Amino acid sequence: MTAFLRFHDLTKSYYEGDVQRVVLQNAHAEFQASEITAIVGKSGSGKSTLLNLISGIDEPDGGQIWVEGQELSALPERERTFFRRARIGFVFQFYNLIPTLTVGENVSLPLELNRIPRPLARKKAEDMLDAVGLLDRRETFPEKLSGGEQQRVTLARALVHDPRLILADEPTGNLDEETGAQVMSMLTRLTREQGRTLLMVTHSLEAASHADRVLRLSHGQLLAER
Amino acid sequence: MLSLRTLLRHPIQFAIMTLGIALGVAVMVGIDIANASAARAFDLSTTAVTGRATHAIVAGAQGVDESLYVRLRTDPTWRRTVESAPIVIAYAVSPQLDDVPFTLLGIDPFAEAPFRSYLGVGGAEQGARLEAIASLLTVPGSVLLSAPTAEHYGLKPCSPDDIQDSCRLRISIHGEMRDAYLTGLLEPSDSFARRALESLILTDIATAQSLSGMSGKLTQIDIILPEAFDSEAFAATLPSGTELVSSELRSDQVTEMTNAFQVNLTALSLLALVVGMFLIYNAMTFSVLQRRAVFGTLRTIGYTREQIFGMVLREAALVGALGTLLGLGIGVLLGQGAVQMVTQTINDLYFVLNVRGVQIPASSLIKGGLTGFLASVLATAPPAWEAASVPPRLALSRAGLESKAQSVVNIVAVLGGLIALTGAVILTVPTRNLVISFGGTSALVIGLAALTPLVTTSLMHVLSNPLGKGFGLLGRLAPRNVIRSQSRTAVAVAALMIAVSVTIGVQVMIASFRTTVILWLEQTMQGDIYIAEQGLSATRLDAPLDSQVLALARSHPLVQSSMTIRNVTVESEHGPVELIAAELKRPMDSRLFLVAQENPVEAMRDGAILLSEPLANRLGISTPGETLALLTPTGWKSFPIAGIYTDYASTRGTVRMSLDVYRDVWNDNQLNGVVLYLPPGVDADAVTADLRSQLKEFTTVGVNPRRVLREGALVVFDRTFAITAAMQLITTLVAFIGVLSSLLALQLEKAREMGILRALGLTVNEMRHLTLWETGLLGASAGLLALPTGYILAWILIFVINQRSFGWTLQMHAQPAPFVQAFLLAVGAALLAALYPAWRIGQMQPAAALRGE
Repeated sequence: MTAFLRFHDLTKSYYEGDVQRVVLQNAHAEFQASEITAIVGKSGSGKSTLLNLISGIDEPDGGQIWVEGQELSALPERERTFFRRARIGFVFQFYNLIPTLTVGENVSLPLELNRIPRPLARKKAEDMLDAVGLLDRRETFPEKLSGGEQQRVTLARALVHDPRLILADEPTGNLDEETGAQVMSMLTRLTREQGRTLLMVTHSLEAASHADRVLRLSHGQLLAER
Repeated sequence: MLSLRTLLRHPIQFAIMTLGIALGVAVMVGIDIANASAARAFDLSTTAVTGRATHAIVAGAQGVDESLYVRLRTDPTWRRTVESAPIVIAYAVSPQLDDVPFTLLGIDPFAEAPFRSYLGVGGAEQGARLEAIASLLTVPGSVLLSAPTAEHYGLKPCSPDDIQDSCRLRISIHGEMRDAYLTGLLEPSDSFARRALESLILTDIATAQSLSGMSGKLTQIDIILPEAFDSEAFAATLPSGTELVSSELRSDQVTEMTNAFQVNLTALSLLALVVGMFLIYNAMTFSVLQRRAVFGTLRTIGYTREQIFGMVLREAALVGALGTLLGLGIGVLLGQGAVQMVTQTINDLYFVLNVRGVQIPASSLIKGGLTGFLASVLATAPPAWEAASVPPRLALSRAGLESKAQSVVNIVAVLGGLIALTGAVILTVPTRNLVISFGGTSALVIGLAALTPLVTTSLMHVLSNPLGKGFGLLGRLAPRNVIRSQSRTAVAVAALMIAVSVTIGVQVMIASFRTTVILWLEQTMQGDIYIAEQGLSATRLDAPLDSQVLALARSHPLVQSSMTIRNVTVESEHGPVELIAAELKRPMDSRLFLVAQENPVEAMRDGAILLSEPLANRLGISTPGETLALLTPTGWKSFPIAGIYTDYASTRGTVRMSLDVYRDVWNDNQLNGVVLYLPPGVDADAVTADLRSQLKEFTTVGVNPRRVLREGALVVFDRTFAITAAMQLITTLVAFIGVLSSLLALQLEKAREMGILRALGLTVNEMRHLTLWETGLLGASAGLLALPTGYILAWILIFVINQRSFGWTLQMHAQPAPFVQAFLLAVGAALLAALYPAWRIGQMQPAAALRGE
């Protein structure tokens, strides 16, 4: 079976002053469609960098990345942006909602970027907010919401445009245990219901327990943990 | 250390803040240097002539009869107590002296010693100096120059015993070229003497009289009266037609004329500094807000409020000191350019002035330096206090800060309204004091600037929906981002608003003034051809016209009629005034009269006079019927005032009377100009060409058709306002730098937000469009509020400042063009300032931006 997402010989390093720090060293991995994978590792091991490379936000120093058979690493920046806009949903640790937009507008943002007509975009956003239990807060600005509520809005925004791939960077990292568990259940439930592929990086063993597979990133290599 | 690192970590922000204050200081210092140089040159030229004289005996344009000097020197009553020295003064230009105006000073060497020290004996060069002065008495037509001046122009004197062509100096006085001979050089004994002598051509009385055509007459007799001397008793013994005037008072009267002009320039230069202060305030506020978390942490680990306050102030002091130093340097360069413009305007409008060297007074540098430095520190005090007030915990969220900023918007607007109202009340105070008037204007403009955040917020609320519908996501995001960035951008937008409103105000004022002058020229200049000696001033006829020229012009077969004019300076009870005596063959355009008695021209035939508006304002005369006393050869004579007329040729004021009356009273048959009237349909250009060829031997006589003269008047007008336009440009540049600084800093702060948008799929171009949308909207807000503010400012400049400065009533002509241009300028400046930040978006690493929480 062809992997939904795979990368090969992936290498990425940063310079900190004059010192080169290698975070990924000829890393390889494959991910199947509709699979939920957790990537764990120490702080600074390169987990977030890996997500940035997969989403096309960042460029690798070497190696290739394929998503649904398309070599993402060979695309120019603009094409990568369009790819990301259409096919990827992002969940951030710090929610990263746009403060100037209401909850409803935040959620419909990816739809509008994908040129979905506004009335339809609004309808889909409302459905998604309903799914995360925040329909009644659609006119509220993000700063008025609690951390858990903000992360639920982020989930709604990440899923609303039916992306094939969800990338989650420490989705519960900024939440208390109970809220974190609720958010994780919601994320995995919605992902599975929609048949999406979820790749999340986390420190939390509880969050990782929701995954089908757990990989550890260590010394620039991905190793099977579970 | 922390302060320095903060500044070094944001080098662009640091550089922009420094540049903002530097430009503000530079404009102020530049104008101050130009004004000081002009004032110093004026002081030197008056001191060079006046010396230690306490008084002078004058007699108007006719001059003082030299027999009076003889009487003073021989009269046993006055001989011992009163020191006197005769003076003949004329302005001269010479091609060998690069055609810059020099003062020809005729003196009596024997009477000089108590008056002008640099001519006296003593010092190492005593022998050489005595020899040079002696040559004045022995060689007819001999003149002296200071040694540095002669060296500067490559002139060498001849020995008095061996006069040759090599020392001949061709000089033009009252338009006539004459020969003089350089027979000696004066070696200045000190720097004062060097500067005092550098614009003087010195000669003896007889040569000066011969060169200037003042045979038997003196310009004045300088007098030194002992302290506590009864000057009134002395004045009473003088013959009628002469007057004893105090040297100090006379000098004050002349400097007072240029005061308004210089105060106006200073006010404009201060405006650039005020805008610069806005920028410092803005930049420091930004810098403080960016570091709230750092301040919170510092407070947690034990920093006191005072320490934080001091730290931020030290940063400002560093920026202020660097900006001020840079500004002083630029200011000196700017001053060298500005001094030429200021001098030109003074020569055009007031009196002949030759600024030979740019003076860089320490006082200008100290004043500019202190103002720049203190302005930086003062503008930082509010944000520094804000920094000190950060509670010792993690920073307030950005959203919290913006909510706080939003709640302040209304309070700031109310305060602004009150300040503006106070300014308006101040402007209604009936005073000629320009500092009060400019104070009121500043309060009004700053008050209106405080409305900028409210206007911006309201405008964005209004635009949010239509822009969202029309331009989708970017159209909806942009106005909201503008509202949310108020705490960062409001001051820069207010500064831009002020700069743009000043642009409107000044442009409308200049355009109104220009239109008024054009209309006035049409009403005043109804002749077809104007003939006059080309004098040193662009706006005064100060040279007599040869009678042959007059006869030739009048006898031209195509000339239907003519009107002759005499233009002199006479003594009035309020100091010297210009007097224009003209034939009353044609009625004056009735639109020229502001107020007049019935049939004023008829009254003028009977001896009445007209006052120009600036003079009437200066004398506090608003209705006809009063009188003005003028010094005539037979003593003081009161002339009834028949009316007040519009006149934009002179700010010092002009008296107009019938030429017949003038000739009767002053017994003076000289003329300065003639106006020729041609029958309808005759080509004035052709007659002008014909007259020019007939008058070609009179090389200094100007023959010009009305059109050329009108154009010439407008050239002088435009030249007068060139410096205003230059300063206005610099103010806009300072405001532009402010917007750029704000946008860069805003971008720095919004990097993470931009990273999110990039992660969600906004392309680089879409991000750039968003930035341009936001800045365009900021510019539009500034431009929109600048429209009414600019109109109000124009109104104040026209009806308050101009009226109080120069005494002119102008018609307001507000065309749409300056308003449209200014609005486009605001949007354009904001968009231009956004280009660099927009370019930087392309360089931004979204991954790095997302990491940097």
